[in-house]
Amino acid sequence: MDLWLFVVSMVLFASVFIFLGYLGYRKTKTAEDYFVAGRAMGPVIIAFSYGATFISAVALIGFSGIASIYGHSILWLAFLNVFVGIFIAFVVYGFRTRKMGLSLQAMTLPELLGNRFNSVRIQQTAGLIIGVFMIAYTSAVFLAIASLFQVTFGIPYWVCVVIFTLIVGIYLIVGGLYAVMWTHAVQGIVMLIGMIVLTIGVYSMLGGIGPAHEAAAALTPEMLASIGSPAATQAPNGLTSMPPWLSPPFMMILTLIFGVGIGVLAQPQLIIRYLTAKNDKALRIAVPYGGIFILCMTFLAFSIGPLCNVLMYQNNIMYPLKESAGAMVPNPDAVVPTIINQLFPTWFILIFLFAILAAAMSTAAALFHTAGAALGRDVYEKFRKTQGSSQKSVLITRIATFVIVIATLIISLNPLDVVAYMTSFFFGLMACTFLAPYTLMLYWRRTSRTGVWLGMLGGFLFTMAWYILIYFKTAPSIIGSSLINDYVINMLDPIFIGLPLSFLLTILFSYLKKQDAAEETLMKKSFQDIS
Amino acid sequence: MELILGMDLGVFLAWIGTLLATLLCILYGIYHQFIKKTDIKQETPPLKKEEKKPKEDS
Repeated sequence: MDLWLFVVSMVLFASVFIFLGYLGYRKTKTAEDYFVAGRAMGPVIIAFSYGATFISAVALIGFSGIASIYGHSILWLAFLNVFVGIFIAFVVYGFRTRKMGLSLQAMTLPELLGNRFNSVRIQQTAGLIIGVFMIAYTSAVFLAIASLFQVTFGIPYWVCVVIFTLIVGIYLIVGGLYAVMWTHAVQGIVMLIGMIVLTIGVYSMLGGIGPAHEAAAALTPEMLASIGSPAATQAPNGLTSMPPWLSPPFMMILTLIFGVGIGVLAQPQLIIRYLTAKNDKALRIAVPYGGIFILCMTFLAFSIGPLCNVLMYQNNIMYPLKESAGAMVPNPDAVVPTIINQLFPTWFILIFLFAILAAAMSTAAALFHTAGAALGRDVYEKFRKTQGSSQKSVLITRIATFVIVIATLIISLNPLDVVAYMTSFFFGLMACTFLAPYTLMLYWRRTSRTGVWLGMLGGFLFTMAWYILIYFKTAPSIIGSSLINDYVINMLDPIFIGLPLSFLLTILFSYLKKQDAAEETLMKKSFQDIS
Repeated sequence: MELILGMDLGVFLAWIGTLLATLLCILYGIYHQFIKKTDIKQETPPLKKEEKKPKEDS
């Protein structure tokens, strides 16, 4: 593909976002404008912004690569993405979060928790956890996009990271959440076009839905081994069948599905989207747009992942490899880029490239914005005990965001390992830490400050301990080997134990140490608009 | 094992389940947009002028 064509398109692409950043800057007058887009967003922008934040390049490239290894059983994650990630998220969590955020004048998740339970320390601790761990997650987003650029253009990783950070950093820091959400709408459209055309292309090459799936089902382990696909051993029942019950591939799918599928409910960068709605109806009408958007992203990405094996087999393309610890190992992140590069026309390579770029930029911008607000507004501002003006609060957050952008850039230049696992790590950690206190805060009037403290810290510490000591992907590289050798246990995502534990601790300690008078007043205030 | 659209039952349930979940989202939106008569309730506005009390554990 012509590099100059790409450069010109990239300049146009970046110009649109920087222009939207400028418009956001013009519209941003108060802290409410910067943090929650003036609480004035309509359903389409909310849906696209939620979807574009949710679906990163990790989901499109990383998880379709994972699907090329484990087969179509990963479609259970697409089901949870739509049903839990959109329907349950908006209907069960969205409205109450918005109403409570309005009553308590909260603009971030930590601030919502802090204001609801009359605790600066809860706000600061939550802000610190979010700010620090989001940097790791954002570096995973960078890795995905760099993987694509390296395969497609051979552009050095560091060049991609620097250009990418510069564009996102400018429009985000200048334009605040207005710019982020408007750019999400544009990026969402590009992502939709890219995924729909890619899916139509793959299925039409294979003769339609039924024939394509049948061709995938007909691939034997020997055929898969002939192209070097790890699916030869990791999809023992075939690419379109569930793996054997409790086998290692089954546990792998289970941990990915629940870590990401349930973890989505407690993602601070997504929760902020509820707070931007102009009214309840905007959130309700966002549900179908969000559902369709996620369907076109994860469902399509996970559907085509396993079919890439068929295309590779039919066209004599070998499964892509990468170097790891001196050996060549399969590289699932490069599967979809390889197929596109080899089998699709040039014009589509450009469209898909921008779709992935849009996915990565949209998620990175939302993460930077949330992490900046967490460290600037929730941690630093509260630490200094300054209840400054609206303008000062925005300035502090802009500076914090700048520092985070630079920190992420530095970390990203030392790339981390497989993209999808990083996402699963982050989602699981956020879920185990925040989901129980957040859910009980919205639905159980007796939730107390002590309960929230114990639930939040208990979930966080358990999850960290699980990743360090037991989890099969992380424990071996941290302490040498997992403390538990049974794979059914050590392949479990911490969400299976950490989340119930966090609920239990929150409920138990809310009973043991009840709300004081000030908390009770705030509880009544927070429920005043909730029937 | 018999395949449905080239998928086994477990995978097919995930496939059709995703489509049905999307349909649920669409029907929910249609219901609230065109069928359910709701007026936008007047919510208690945020107390912008209200002086914030310091939090207890600050």
